Amino acid sequence: MANYNIDAKKEVTYDAIVIGSGISGGWAAKELTEKGLKTLVLERGRIVEHVVDYPTMNLDPWDTELRGGLTPEQQKKHYKATRSGWIGTDTEHFWADDEANPYTEEKPFLWLRGHQMGGRSLLWGKQTYRWSDLDFKANAEDGHGVDWPIRYKDIEPWYTYVEKFAGISGEPLGLPQLPDSHFLPPMDLNCVEKHVKSRIEKEYDGRHLIIGRCAHLTVPHNGRGQCQNRNRCSRGCPYGAYFSSNSVTLPPANATGNLTIRPHSIVQSLIYDDKKGKVTGVRIIDAETNEDIEYNAKIVFVNASTLSSTQILMNSKSNRFENGLGNDSGELGHNLMDHTYRVGAHGKVEGFEDKYYKGRRPNGIYIPRYWNVDEKTKNDNFLRGFGYQGGGYRGGNPANSESFGADFKDGILKPGPWEFFITGFAECLPYHDNKISLNTDVLDKWGQPTLTIDAEFKANEKAANKQIQEDAVDMLEKAGLKDIVGFDNEHPPGFGVHEMGTARMGRDPKTSVLNGFNQVHAAKNVFVTDGACMTSSSCVNPSLTYMAITARAADYAVSELKKGNI
Amino acid sequence: MDRRSAIKRAGLLGAAVAMPTMLTILQSCKDEARLTWKPEFFSDTEAKTIATLLDMILPRTETPGALDVKADVFIDKVIAQTYDAEGQQHMRDEILGFNAKCMENHQANFIDLDEPKRIVVLKAEEKSSGKFSRGVWGKAIGPQEAIGFYRSMKSMAIWAYFTSEEIGEKVLSYDPIPGVYEGCKPLADIGNRWSL
Repeated sequence: MANYNIDAKKEVTYDAIVIGSGISGGWAAKELTEKGLKTLVLERGRIVEHVVDYPTMNLDPWDTELRGGLTPEQQKKHYKATRSGWIGTDTEHFWADDEANPYTEEKPFLWLRGHQMGGRSLLWGKQTYRWSDLDFKANAEDGHGVDWPIRYKDIEPWYTYVEKFAGISGEPLGLPQLPDSHFLPPMDLNCVEKHVKSRIEKEYDGRHLIIGRCAHLTVPHNGRGQCQNRNRCSRGCPYGAYFSSNSVTLPPANATGNLTIRPHSIVQSLIYDDKKGKVTGVRIIDAETNEDIEYNAKIVFVNASTLSSTQILMNSKSNRFENGLGNDSGELGHNLMDHTYRVGAHGKVEGFEDKYYKGRRPNGIYIPRYWNVDEKTKNDNFLRGFGYQGGGYRGGNPANSESFGADFKDGILKPGPWEFFITGFAECLPYHDNKISLNTDVLDKWGQPTLTIDAEFKANEKAANKQIQEDAVDMLEKAGLKDIVGFDNEHPPGFGVHEMGTARMGRDPKTSVLNGFNQVHAAKNVFVTDGACMTSSSCVNPSLTYMAITARAADYAVSELKKGNI
Repeated sequence: MDRRSAIKRAGLLGAAVAMPTMLTILQSCKDEARLTWKPEFFSDTEAKTIATLLDMILPRTETPGALDVKADVFIDKVIAQTYDAEGQQHMRDEILGFNAKCMENHQANFIDLDEPKRIVVLKAEEKSSGKFSRGVWGKAIGPQEAIGFYRSMKSMAIWAYFTSEEIGEKVLSYDPIPGVYEGCKPLADIGNRWSL
């Protein structure tokens, strides 16, 4: 899998160009190369080869001088991203340079980026859930946003297709609002999670607590090893046990011989030919030499990540598209969504003091949506729904104990009390005024316009959050937990790292940017298949849907190309 | 002589009140806290203050203490290399403030107090130094009250202790490649808390 062809010097013309190599770009590269297209992947950052470029994958805390602490220089370089609380020396090299890549927050918004081959597929949470028709019909039914041009039946075979290749573990439940995937065996719940599950399922009709469905292998799969329960995923997994572009989609793309990946390639714009009425290529800036280079292709897949993909379209101006490529509707940059984050409840569990677990399972529990799934579960306080993630573990904070000395020290060598928490993720409605725009006053390191982000959660999301917290406290009380704390950290959008929208799919070119196969309505050889394409946000994690939508669009693109339609 | 084992043998555990018969032993041990390393950030006096504090919070017993695993040296390094200028000044001010309180209440800096008085100081700090809110995914949930110097240093001490190689590999339960996840095992089969 090594030896990527990075030599894009001698050839400037390809069948296809894919912008970005994260979750969706990796899939686009795999599908297009396997279908025989000479494909150039333009990657903003460096090459990260599976295993070879995971320098921290086996380090214990004491193996690094500061045991995870960041120097002031590193903190400055990641001055935006450190707000997430996830960056340490173990993953610092996989987070983008916030100083070289500034953005402006009209309202608070956390934009986490991974500028390297594999992008954020190295860092993601790996929770993988199918969306349902409850999601694809939501806009049409309550009138917010525009109707999705697809339904579950359109994407269902593509979910199966990507799941079989990626490897998704989980337990089938048969719920219409959370369709079952093609599953590998589920991970185990621990004793406290099983206890809480039985209490919640007994107390509430229609509520279920399941192990998270996730892109971690629980058995060897397609030549990759199974999860070893080290929970060091974000450093890169030496076993290839979780889904990343680096371990799953780019190696087979490379094996076709049709892949060229060009690192350090900052896409400036797409080149639109007014005479031909289509996009003929992509203009880049070499991040290291500042050289401007143009590459040509018959089709372009834009997979730079939600906001960056739209930024590229906005920056692609021509006589035909004065306000950004494909922006006839005026919707480009609008309808930005994220899931709400860190609202829920936490409590202590008694009665399992003599039990412990072995292994660091990189997964938690999930409580699927139970409000507004049918007439019986209609909630008048808010539209749509939310699900919970969480888990049980032995925690406590020994520093809080009001003792010190020998007994104290010997005591803290034992595991702390069992604790359990759930935190909700609520769907965000698509609002036209949640938007991004090009900022020509703040330029990045390469002199390119940056983004201004202007988005907020509104009344519906706040009402859902209120319900999340109330229900969470109620469930933990009924499950018999003690010392329960309900919380709402009031995180602004971006913290969920599920940015969606800004180049939405739709049936009508007057109100949307992309059609039902992710083609730009007025530039049909351009496909956008990352989070930018999303028409609504569901309440479940979106990455599996990006994978399925991308594979579907790639299949369509190749067939259209063969027919001579694009 | 080994002060910790002397205390332990005499049944003078943790925050227990010192018996008069013990005082001579304790005082005879006092000069052991001499600085034998060169701090990057702390002054010698600050370093001794931190070392004394750490030694009282996590003393040597059958298992190594905080100073045995050089938790004080590590904390000095962390402050020197990860705190910005403002954070470093704040740390100095807090140590000054801590000593000022000792001076006000006991007429001496912390390191110059005898062990019983230092125990009195720590007991008071345990009451007044704030508590950390619970966290979810590494961040506090709900409101967080102000955390005083003592609580934050205690927290750093525990972090430095648990993440030291000696404690992390030999004292805590260490299993870098668990392989399987087993969600419900008898604690007796595992023993101490997991190090990772």
